[in-house]
Amino acid sequence: MAVIAHDPSRPTQTHAEVTRDVVRTITEAPTRGYYILVGVLAFLTAVLLGTVTMLLKHGLGLAGYAPPIMWSVYITTFVFWVGIGHAGTLISAILFLFRSPWRTAVYRATEAMTVFAVMTAALFPIIHIGRQWIFYWLLPYPNARYLWPNFKSPLLWDVFAISTYLTVSSTFLMVGLVPDIAAVRDHVSGWRKKLYSMLSLGWTGADSQWRHYTRAYLYLAALAAPLVLSVHSVVSWDFAVSIVPGWHGTIFAPYFVAGAIYSGIGMTFTLLIPLRKMLRLEHMITDYHFDNLSKLTLFTGTILFYAYAMEYFVAWYSGSTFEQTTFWRRAFGPNWWAGWSMIICNAFVSQLLWFRKIRVNLTALFVISIFINIGMWFERYVIVVSSLANDYLPNAWGQINPTWADWLILLGSFGWFGLWFTLFYKNFPIVAIQEIKEMIPMPRRKSHGGAH
Amino acid sequence: MATQVPGVLGSFEHIDAACDAIRELKADGRADITVYSAAPNHELEAAIGDPISKVRLFTLVGGFTGVTAGFSLAIWMARDWPLLVGGKPIAAIPAFVVIGFELTILIGALSTIAAIIILSAMKSLKGRPYHPRYSDDRIGIFVPCGPSEAQDVQQLFERHGSVEVSRDA
Amino acid sequence: MADQQAADDVDRRQFLKVLGVTGVGTAALTGCSTDRVAKLVPYMVQDENQVPGIPTVYASTCTECATGCGVHVITREGRAIKLEGNPEHPVNAGTLCSRGQAGLQALYNPDRIGAPLAKNAAGGFDEITWEDAIARLAARLGQAGNRVAAINGYGPSTFSQLLEGMVGQLGGTTVSWQPFAREAESRANQRTFGRDDLPAYDFGVARYIVSFGADFLETWGPTMEQSRGFAASHGFNDGTMARHVYVGPRMNLTGANADEWLDVAAGSEVFVALLLARAAAEAKGSPLAGDLARWTAAEVSARTGIDAARLTRIANEFAAATPSLAVAGGIAAQHRGAIDLCHAVNLANVAAGNLGQTVNFGLGSTPTAGYGAVQGLFARMERGEVAVAIVHEANPLYAMPKSGNFQASFAKVGFKVSTANVMDETAAASDLILPNLHALERWDDSFSRPGVRSLMQPVMTPVRPGMHTGDVLLKVAQALGGSAAANFAEPSFEARLQAAWTVGATGDFPTFWRTSLARGGVFLPAVSSNPTLVDGAAALDPAAPAFDGDAEFTFLPYPSLMYHDGRGANKPWLLENPDPMTKITWQSWAELHPETARRLDVREGEIIELTSPHGAIRAQVYLFHGIREDTIGMPLGLGHTEYGRYAKDRGVNALDLLGAADGQGYLPYVATKVSVTKTPGYRKVAKTEGNPRQLGRGIIEQMPLVYAAQGMTPEQAYKAAGGETHEINPPREREAIDGWYEAQKEGWKLGNYADDATPKWAMAVDLSRCTGCSACVTACYAENNIPTVGEEQIFKGREMSWMRIERYWEGGEDGAPIEARFAPIMCQHCDNAPCEPVCPVYAAYHTPDGLNGQVYNRCVGTRYCSNNCPFKVRYYNWLKYNESAWPEPLNLQLNPEVTVRARGVMEKCTFCVQRIRGAQHKARLEDRPLKDGEIVPACAQACPSKAMTFGNIKDPEAKVVQWSRDPRGYTMLELTNVRPAVTYLAKVVAQEPVVHAADEHGGH
Repeated sequence: MAVIAHDPSRPTQTHAEVTRDVVRTITEAPTRGYYILVGVLAFLTAVLLGTVTMLLKHGLGLAGYAPPIMWSVYITTFVFWVGIGHAGTLISAILFLFRSPWRTAVYRATEAMTVFAVMTAALFPIIHIGRQWIFYWLLPYPNARYLWPNFKSPLLWDVFAISTYLTVSSTFLMVGLVPDIAAVRDHVSGWRKKLYSMLSLGWTGADSQWRHYTRAYLYLAALAAPLVLSVHSVVSWDFAVSIVPGWHGTIFAPYFVAGAIYSGIGMTFTLLIPLRKMLRLEHMITDYHFDNLSKLTLFTGTILFYAYAMEYFVAWYSGSTFEQTTFWRRAFGPNWWAGWSMIICNAFVSQLLWFRKIRVNLTALFVISIFINIGMWFERYVIVVSSLANDYLPNAWGQINPTWADWLILLGSFGWFGLWFTLFYKNFPIVAIQEIKEMIPMPRRKSHGGAH
Repeated sequence: MATQVPGVLGSFEHIDAACDAIRELKADGRADITVYSAAPNHELEAAIGDPISKVRLFTLVGGFTGVTAGFSLAIWMARDWPLLVGGKPIAAIPAFVVIGFELTILIGALSTIAAIIILSAMKSLKGRPYHPRYSDDRIGIFVPCGPSEAQDVQQLFERHGSVEVSRDA
Repeated sequence: MADQQAADDVDRRQFLKVLGVTGVGTAALTGCSTDRVAKLVPYMVQDENQVPGIPTVYASTCTECATGCGVHVITREGRAIKLEGNPEHPVNAGTLCSRGQAGLQALYNPDRIGAPLAKNAAGGFDEITWEDAIARLAARLGQAGNRVAAINGYGPSTFSQLLEGMVGQLGGTTVSWQPFAREAESRANQRTFGRDDLPAYDFGVARYIVSFGADFLETWGPTMEQSRGFAASHGFNDGTMARHVYVGPRMNLTGANADEWLDVAAGSEVFVALLLARAAAEAKGSPLAGDLARWTAAEVSARTGIDAARLTRIANEFAAATPSLAVAGGIAAQHRGAIDLCHAVNLANVAAGNLGQTVNFGLGSTPTAGYGAVQGLFARMERGEVAVAIVHEANPLYAMPKSGNFQASFAKVGFKVSTANVMDETAAASDLILPNLHALERWDDSFSRPGVRSLMQPVMTPVRPGMHTGDVLLKVAQALGGSAAANFAEPSFEARLQAAWTVGATGDFPTFWRTSLARGGVFLPAVSSNPTLVDGAAALDPAAPAFDGDAEFTFLPYPSLMYHDGRGANKPWLLENPDPMTKITWQSWAELHPETARRLDVREGEIIELTSPHGAIRAQVYLFHGIREDTIGMPLGLGHTEYGRYAKDRGVNALDLLGAADGQGYLPYVATKVSVTKTPGYRKVAKTEGNPRQLGRGIIEQMPLVYAAQGMTPEQAYKAAGGETHEINPPREREAIDGWYEAQKEGWKLGNYADDATPKWAMAVDLSRCTGCSACVTACYAENNIPTVGEEQIFKGREMSWMRIERYWEGGEDGAPIEARFAPIMCQHCDNAPCEPVCPVYAAYHTPDGLNGQVYNRCVGTRYCSNNCPFKVRYYNWLKYNESAWPEPLNLQLNPEVTVRARGVMEKCTFCVQRIRGAQHKARLEDRPLKDGEIVPACAQACPSKAMTFGNIKDPEAKVVQWSRDPRGYTMLELTNVRPAVTYLAKVVAQEPVVHAADEHGGH
């Protein structure tokens, strides 16, 4: 607790101020800018739906698939969004278990980001399969054919991992929200009052409620923590259990998890930096938080650096001509530009964060975060596409040119994600009221000299 | 609106004051009091001194159910219609670990949620007075009691520097 | 165009009525397009040779080229669904080339003309009735008097006799002509032996084969017979194999199957031939030695630029081998010196004593009158001496160079009649079109060579209402009346045909006729009568042939294996089946040597303009090490201006660069020099291959004869040749891997998998026999309803060929000779199939009999299986190919035994599971065990060189087991431990072993 009080960059506040400042973000009338933003995002979402309709009508041939490259932009984007969805639960659950105080100000926003990112990611496996209308055949439901799905397939592991992750992270978000919604309920009027009264599930903050709540939250965090690490490991096994040179690597699970957290925090920067300005939360989300987030970015970025290096080393050391060719072509083949943008944006750009000046310079951080997003998308693109492009039989090698159908889906996914996030931050407490209050010592009659 | 539970409601600004009040109430043998606060607080918990919540039981049972369900589901379904793939055993345990794990988490988490709902519902707060400021910066203590005792409770609150006391008895 | 459109959409009901006549109403219903069927027509009376679900096979004859192979037409419910070789037929003995199999797409071609067409004033065509059409023709013939001429592309047959007879009756002339008619050979034979017929060549017994531009595996002569022979002699067996040397400026498929390629300039092949003749004459003590003495290695080396030592070696090898065989006469060497070349080759064969051994006169075909004659006829048209011209089974306005202005001459003919049943160039220029029935719809015969009389019979109701030209002629004869009516009085051509066959019939005619029809004709042994050399023939002093123009490059148009003389251009199967050398589909291209390209600064796909004195054409560049730097090659057969939706305006016509003039009775294809100008244009080359090099991955193994003869494995051969040791797995690891595999097996002995008695299907492919001819690919398309996807999709690599021929180049750089290696790649049906476990819905799974099953209905299309397939033999329906690939009536060719796959599902080779199950059921019905060799997948069935064998690997007697145990046997990509069910037997080459470079042999 002390940390907060001792941090000079953060003006101490009373509980009342916390409630006031957060509730303000909800009650203030939305600006014209906000409506325009929502409009644009809604349009992009429409683009997404339109393109999907075309795919349903004509088939995936509209996209740039070129055998042997059977997976490309859609799977790339799937992994990209799942990755984004990792920072949230990491910050809210793992850092909660580690009791790191700086998480409180940012975790609600990142957790929301997580849920919406996973919601976006979950669209892609369905868009990507050839017969979208029977995607539910992947679920183990009783049917007349007595056919069950194949639990040996990593894709089925994926189904379980992603759906579990979506369920757990969204419940985690909602549980965290309940007391805050109650707080909002008590400070608004009219239709909002009705709405939030309903959503607060009769929360009053009575001791009998807190007693179970705090415990439950702890266990949820304890369950969510390994889940975060497992989900992207499972996603990585979609590739790693195959025999495709460039996919078949034992390093994949940790490599992917690091990448996921890295990209997640990157997206966190991209969202929070403008957000705290728009909602005037500078005194709650401060340099102190960005500094810590940056350190986490630096850490995961460095792991990526190592992973990239190790991939190339192992390819060379394996003596397998197949591995060697794949990695040679990654760097110097027709897709060299993708290969290098991944290495530069991730491995190198992240190293800038060694400098505190950069860590607390929000403009710099924002620019870096854009690089991170681009870099991480390309990482997945490189892994997926440039590995498939050249495997065992040279005669079957191929090259790919993504088409409008690829790009519009990618673009639309940002609209879909953004729309949810934008609606969320204007209608729900984007900063965790009760947890911040937990950090602020309550006033006492006889002072023990500062915090106890 | 359900019928009011008769009793005295005291609001506190200062944590230590509230705690002292609670301790004294407990000392007087008043077990059934309700304490409102905007955030969980260790001092309050200590003062109230309830035993640790039963949530963990639910989580544990849920987790075990999950892992068992995961493996048995995968194994049974694989053997229900044996189909050979890639020369692997029909029931390939290593591959099923993922399923087992995911279901552990899933069912564990869901039963934890169930726990909060069930356990919180067990102690009904119907008719107990509440003030919006309790979700802001005040601590509220409600003591259900008849008119006879109301006077003493009110005095106790005031003695401990409650900023506001309301009687409904 | 409009009338074609009309012809395209078949009225279903009407179609059913037509079929109903033969009581096979359900035929159309099994066409996998039941959604368009108006009402079901049940069998009223069971037709005696139509059992629903059971194929009925008719014997017939292929008309896709002049060879006349025997075919078996497999029909289901009254539809021909596949063409296979007739095993009883002496020419092709059960095999059939791609073009022959694609005859089915001529039958069902969506652009077939459905009624007689008459040119109207506007230049368009009007449909008229047959009566009207016949009346008009008769009227015109009546007026024409003797100014009647016919061009007949149909070979020796009862029909041709009828046509010639009738035209003769009217005092007119009939010219029998087809492109690639081998005129030069027959003229050379005239010169050297005093007879103009063509001998039959026996490649099967030859020990040393030298081909001078004769593509005997592609389009020259009876390719099926020759492929069979070549496989027998050049394939590795009992430690020996024949050697094959190819002489010519471009390495074609035949050249790629040679042990050595002599890249002499066009026109100088003759000197090599003379050298061989001399060497052989001296070695065999032939009297020709004297006349030929001057053709020393030094002399020939000086004339050809080939190293004298190399020439000497080849000459001596040729001379030493008995019997040997030299062949010439292919289009690729049809320059103005072609007759001299064939002459010299004859000398070589005589000197080597090959007559009666590998060269048998009296057994070969008689050539048609040829280009000279047809050219003469056009000259008469030009002079206005022809009032009525009938063109049958020929398309001269496409197949003769534009520079000859034949179009204009043809226009001068008063009344032009074409019998084409698709709108080809000649038909479009005609006044009257009388669409002939397709060969599978009519009575006909063909006398392709002495002793071989093949029959054709209608196997189904005509797809489009047409009339047999024979019947047309007979009707016209009646209309003309007089002596014509008297001489051609038969009521129908069928009657005339039977009448003709009574001659030489044995036993009572009906039986003879029935058995002949069942066998596909009458095949009697013919006796060879070998001539002697005319005096002084050996004193041949060839001059270098003249070329038109003096530009830098020799232009080498060559017949395409698929497009042939242009007939292939309207058949999607042939357009989509990649040219085995270049792997290009749906296009025509200009072949440049990479060195030449570097000099001209052009890259693959860039469009260059080729200019000759006779014209200019633009085509995209393809870089090819197998062509001389001073030569530019281009396949013939595309660049149609008519000929239906598939051919029209596709590619360019190489003939546009040629001169039409000729004094020697044949069209000199290789007689122009061209200059090259680079244009800014670019068109992606529609290749189906990624990288043409093996990158030392040891995919297609090859071993020198000396080692193979010692029974070495490719591995041992590699080491023996000084290759460094490399082990994919040391024995200890191998043991562990196998142990693990067995342990895993225990884990799946459940349900259907428990029984060890279940057979396990496997295949073996002998790469020393495979020539890469791609007949198996077409067979696969036909058997398994594989959709053709078209050029645009192939740009994206989306071809669906379940089976493909992979062709890898070796050498070619820094002086090393260019070598091609071919291997058919189909699903390997791995034991540890990587595609199976990754499928989330069990759409890919392993059947108890070892097949790698693919359940189309279950497939949701995650495509992981394809990613994880190391052989990349899984193909995905990206779009609704099942709707685009078979415009009616092409859909009628679909095989009802095989599902037509919908959009969004993965598909792949099934080892022709429908044939496996068929054979198993048959055996069960007959209550007997399955015999080895009873199951023949479509690819193995079609293979002309019998390079594939299929069977139960658990049956120790099975041929496939013996093949798999061959020391040359190996499985591809062994390091992946997928344990394929397909064993490849390493290719064997006659060269001396060369020490491998370190990376020569991959997979470690």
